[in-house]
Amino acid sequence: MDLVKHLRYFTVVAEELHFGNAAVRLGMAQPPLSQGIRRLEEELGVRLFDRSSRRVRLTEAGRAVLAEAGEILARVDRLRALAGREEGAVLRAGIPPDLGSTVIAALIAGFEAACREAVATGPGEPGRGKAVGEGTGSTEAGRGRAGREGTGRGVRLVPTEMWSADQAAALTAGTLDVGVLRHPIAAPGLSFGPVLVQYPGVVLAESDPLARLSSVHLADLAGRRLVLYPGEPGLHEETLGECRRHGFVPQEVHQAQTLGLVMAGTAVAFGPRVTLPGLCWRPLVGSPLAWRISVAWRGEAGPAAEAFGAVAVRVLKENAGMTDDGAAPVRRVRSRPASGFLA
Amino acid sequence: MTGGAGVEEFDGLFRAAGVTGFLYAVDVDTGAEVAYGADEPVVLASVFKIALLVEFFRQADRGALDPAERVTVMAGRHTPGPTGVSAMTDDVTMSLRDLAYLMIAVSDNTAADTLIGRVGLGAVNTMLDGFGLARTRVEHDCATLFTSVVEDSGQEDMPTDPAVVSRLRVLDPARTNRSTPRETARLLAMIWRDEAASPESCAWMRRLLGLQVWPHRLASGFPYDDVAVSGKTGTLPTLRNEAGVVEYPDGGCYAVAVFTRSYGTAQNQPRADAVIGTAARAAVERLRSRPG
Repeated sequence: MDLVKHLRYFTVVAEELHFGNAAVRLGMAQPPLSQGIRRLEEELGVRLFDRSSRRVRLTEAGRAVLAEAGEILARVDRLRALAGREEGAVLRAGIPPDLGSTVIAALIAGFEAACREAVATGPGEPGRGKAVGEGTGSTEAGRGRAGREGTGRGVRLVPTEMWSADQAAALTAGTLDVGVLRHPIAAPGLSFGPVLVQYPGVVLAESDPLARLSSVHLADLAGRRLVLYPGEPGLHEETLGECRRHGFVPQEVHQAQTLGLVMAGTAVAFGPRVTLPGLCWRPLVGSPLAWRISVAWRGEAGPAAEAFGAVAVRVLKENAGMTDDGAAPVRRVRSRPASGFLA
Repeated sequence: MTGGAGVEEFDGLFRAAGVTGFLYAVDVDTGAEVAYGADEPVVLASVFKIALLVEFFRQADRGALDPAERVTVMAGRHTPGPTGVSAMTDDVTMSLRDLAYLMIAVSDNTAADTLIGRVGLGAVNTMLDGFGLARTRVEHDCATLFTSVVEDSGQEDMPTDPAVVSRLRVLDPARTNRSTPRETARLLAMIWRDEAASPESCAWMRRLLGLQVWPHRLASGFPYDDVAVSGKTGTLPTLRNEAGVVEYPDGGCYAVAVFTRSYGTAQNQPRADAVIGTAARAAVERLRSRPG
């Protein structure tokens, strides 16, 4: 018998404790699933489930096997991933480090799901997933391995945390396939996906008197020091410009990746809501800052990059509170002679 | 230094200012040099006006044109631009050499196109070939460059939208007026050594380049009353250039060309302007601290 396949059946039934639901999750009919579990029980010589009552329960032996089965399946997945590393295509993606662990995890999971879908549906099925398989020629889509066993067989995502300037340079140099970067930024030959926008608030030390207010005006921050991310030259200039327009000229600007300086009470920072002891987050009155972000690639996007872009847009909206750029205020450029056409 | 030692210093300077940069500095008298990406193709933007200036004075030397001749630029024929005749409303009548002054002092695009009408771009390139500056090419006048930006962006204002900026042909060295930092600085050094035209004409050109008004780029690196900075800027979306000559009171004379391209698309980026001065200063300090 295929022990790995049967162990997979078993773990899904153990998670659902319901044969019908488990069959749906596995994409199969219930009778062969019940049969498979019985065969596994015969093979191991123990009863894994107690089916006597109305509810399915794990037996003592079942609980012991479950822990071990999880271990084995994880190793099998890892084995497949390692084996697939050489032959499967790779999509090297840059992600700004400040997006946070949950967003980055959701991006990876979302892309893997899209790949899996592509492999499961195979050729001829329309939709986002199909494009992923096409990206690597006939190898992926043609394989058509259904269900969880398709994992790791599609395009493999290799995410790297990088700031936008480095991403732009790496995309241009061809060492990165796709990036998620903050605007305004440009480099020769870069193309961009849809632009999303986010309105950062201000992160203050709990001890800051402004923490007593429900929202903070940029001008209220006068005299404070400011922490900005390093490696975001476009965003840096734009943020400082907007601060100046609203009467906040930072006493000093620190470039830092962490909020240590804010926690210490020596500076403030801008960003999405944070919940960390010692810090408090307040929205900015009138949302004067608008941070724009988009997927970028060099020249024409390959199908895999396009699929990644679609996943990124969805994840950034769902997990990072970003919205379509249409909602952002249009920034009026007041040109000056020294920076005008052919000055 | 030609690569190797000290590259990190320029890496760091340009990086901190949010730009990629290319630089060449040469001691006008000794030929000692500092190079950082000095042979990369770069977009000249308005720096091309230096080559036009040289050919204008060479034709004056030959008697092919009279620099004092007065011409009228009709109101309807002003090339777009933020300064000089380009920014003026009415017909303007002035001498060719005063147009040359406006072209250099405030980067007047209408003045430049008017001189191109007299001098011819073909003649400019022939002059460059004669000087062995084969990688410097001037193929478009200001009006053509402007039309190209409008065609690519669909707007008359200089774009800041990154997607629009990245498709501008005027930002691609292969498709616009181009040079290398080394060739641009060499042309300036020839003006300072009286080799680009007659000594009288070279003196005129030095005077005009010394009258350039912008303080924010090359000049910002040399904030001293006894140091002279002459130069010509070049500006397009994300591009900030300046090529010029720095003269110290002890007689030290250095031609420097700095070309930058910013990652950010904002028009106002004081740090990106200032790094042109800072990097030029670092290069000049290297030349001055060299033994012998």
